[in-house]
Amino acid sequence: MQLKYDYIIVGSGATGAIAAHALVEAGVNVAVLDVGVEDEKYKEIIPNKDFISIRKEDDNQKKYFLGNDFEGIPWQTSKVGSQLTPPRNFLTQLSKKFIPFESDSFSPMESMAKGGLGGGWGLGCYEFSKPELDAIGLKESEMLKAYEAVASHIGISGDKDDAAPYTLRDLKNVMPVSDLEQNLNGIFSSYKNQKNSLNKKGIYVGRTPLAVLTKDRENRRAIQYKDMDLWSDKDKSGYRSWMTIEQLSSNSNFTYHKNCLVIKFREQENGVDVIVKRTDTNEEQIFTCKKLILSPGVLGTARIVIRSFDYKKEQLPVICNPYCYIPCFQWRMLGKEIEQRKTGFGQLMLFLDEDKTNFDVGLAALYSYRSLLLFKLIKESPLNYSDSRILMQYMQSSFTIAGVHHPEKSSATKFIRMKQNVETFTGDILTGQYILSDQELQTNENREKKIKSALKTLGCQPIKTIYTPHGGSIHYAGTLPFSDNGEKFSIHPNGKLAGTKNVFVADGSGFNYLPAKGLTFTLMANAYNVAKNVLKNE
Amino acid sequence: MESKSTAIYEAEQIGHYLLSIPIHDSEKNTYIDAMQKLNIPFSNYEQALWNSMLKSKFKMACIDAGLALKDPNNNARRKLFTMLAILEASPNYTQYFLSRNFSFFYLFKIGAVGIRAVLRAMIGILIVNNIKRKCS
Ligand SMILES: Cc1cc2nc3c(=O)[nH]c(=O)nc-3n(C[C@H](O)[C@H](O)[C@H](O)COP(=O)(O)OP(=O)(O)OC[C@H]3O[C@@H](n4cnc5c(N)ncnc54)[C@H](O)[C@@H]3O)c2cc1C
Repeated sequence: MQLKYDYIIVGSGATGAIAAHALVEAGVNVAVLDVGVEDEKYKEIIPNKDFISIRKEDDNQKKYFLGNDFEGIPWQTSKVGSQLTPPRNFLTQLSKKFIPFESDSFSPMESMAKGGLGGGWGLGCYEFSKPELDAIGLKESEMLKAYEAVASHIGISGDKDDAAPYTLRDLKNVMPVSDLEQNLNGIFSSYKNQKNSLNKKGIYVGRTPLAVLTKDRENRRAIQYKDMDLWSDKDKSGYRSWMTIEQLSSNSNFTYHKNCLVIKFREQENGVDVIVKRTDTNEEQIFTCKKLILSPGVLGTARIVIRSFDYKKEQLPVICNPYCYIPCFQWRMLGKEIEQRKTGFGQLMLFLDEDKTNFDVGLAALYSYRSLLLFKLIKESPLNYSDSRILMQYMQSSFTIAGVHHPEKSSATKFIRMKQNVETFTGDILTGQYILSDQELQTNENREKKIKSALKTLGCQPIKTIYTPHGGSIHYAGTLPFSDNGEKFSIHPNGKLAGTKNVFVADGSGFNYLPAKGLTFTLMANAYNVAKNVLKNE
Repeated sequence: MESKSTAIYEAEQIGHYLLSIPIHDSEKNTYIDAMQKLNIPFSNYEQALWNSMLKSKFKMACIDAGLALKDPNNNARRKLFTMLAILEASPNYTQYFLSRNFSFFYLFKIGAVGIRAVLRAMIGILIVNNIKRKCS
């Protein structure tokens, strides 16, 4: 096995895949080191049919809807990760074993999968505004070009509507928007009728730009509205990071090494040694490269950097968007049958930008409820299961779920800390604390009240607010904040890890601020820029 | 884990309670498999609730309703919930779970089921309190 490469990338998630793509396109010799868990249980048994046909016809459906070990019947729904369906559970498989995390107040979701968390993300893509990029520490002029490059690679569909200043801005590489389902269409029509008064309060509603094709492209099909999006990727309409890795695998200048858990790096005179512990044999292996690009997710990068700098600093800051979800009842949908042709993705967004600065904007992503199956909705009802089933059958079409994200910045009470622990695979364990101040809690509560009031105006009556533990938004950043002062445990805005000559970071570790909007499109655009900077730095 | 015949009896009782029809052998077998794999632990109190629930469909409905308000995460309900999921994921019972269109009896049915659910909860709370007192 070859162990020497010009460029080594750690991780195949959203950021690693994009960095790899940019480097391979430039013609250089690249290897990705990854643990690379894949779904071996369910992919092949899910039929390429729509949700209703499957429900009516497939005798095997219990295997993937409930899981071989019934892991798809969650009893503690507030657990981070319980939203993953059994065919997506591979995303978090082996994380406990290889990258354990312990905390009473922070429950991040981490992945060891080929394609990382990008194998199950909700595909929402947003350009950040200039004030947001400034607060993160990224240059707008460079990011705008990178957004275009990433959009053309992954394929984004969307619309230039009222929400465009918060979503697509002036992005050019955009496919036509997908067809809006009935449940969300009612809300959107209601918004259009009351737009002026809502806009005065800083409320804007628009279509969510999604990394979903609405036109066929190479081996990926345009969205077929089968409503199986949370279970399978048969048509490859939605972008998953493993698709990039598979596409690159046919290039002679690209190698994908699985079963490689990167422990740390050691800089040498003319390059970098990458120390790996193999997850299949437990053996140590040393890869060498001219330049190393870390993209194992912000917590993964923190682990590797802390070890590589000999545990000189064990505590690092961390940021994660506070998140809650609000099931709402839409009277206008009562008694309507759910249409067959739909998608499980959140197609509509509501933004709250009271002072109209496009900064510290709150948001609610709106989803209808069907393909996650009725029994999970029945569980949330305060009635007995038998009567609740009958009622929910009639009312299911009226439920809309609003996923509310808050913007977030770092503070002294939000941190991760590495501790030695001889019992783990790596001899250490990451721990953490995530506590919001009273003022932050109050600000978030006020924002939620305003969002709920807007939802009511749009005909969506909030039923209750369900808070997920911190970590539940699955948006993480800020462990090695961007800074150009060269201080250790920070990242230069060009991506170089301070205190090193040839180590770069392409994930969100440097981000100093997290807007409420999903960060992944920006993560990918930054990874693209980092890859370009690595090439310039030759 | 209880014997196979006990598990089959449970599956029949729960299935009948949830859908008011006899259920197929395939779903009974899936329930047995689920109970083996999930191995749901019962405290004395939960066991007493469960024994009482198995006595009749009426008691099962009332205790489920009482627990839904007082102790929704009680493991006795977890067995019912598991069976509910199993039934939903079977093509034999799809029509019991897909959304329903407006019909003449639509609002009447919602109202009637709602009232029944409240009555069941009221009786259920009394039964649950009684069992709890006996167990403590
Ligand atoms: C259900 C769900 C819905 C989401 N929806 C959205 C959304 O709509 N919009 C949005 O913007 N974001 C969304 N996200 C978040 C998004 O998925 C993440 O922000 C993004 O995937 C992070 O990418 P990453 O490359 O930084 O890290 P990851 O995806 O975590 O990838 C890390 C990679 O590194 C590898 N790795 C880790 N440690 C090591 C190591 N030591 N050695 C070798 N390899 C290692 C892993 O195997 C993995 O391949 C969602 C996430 C989930 C789970």
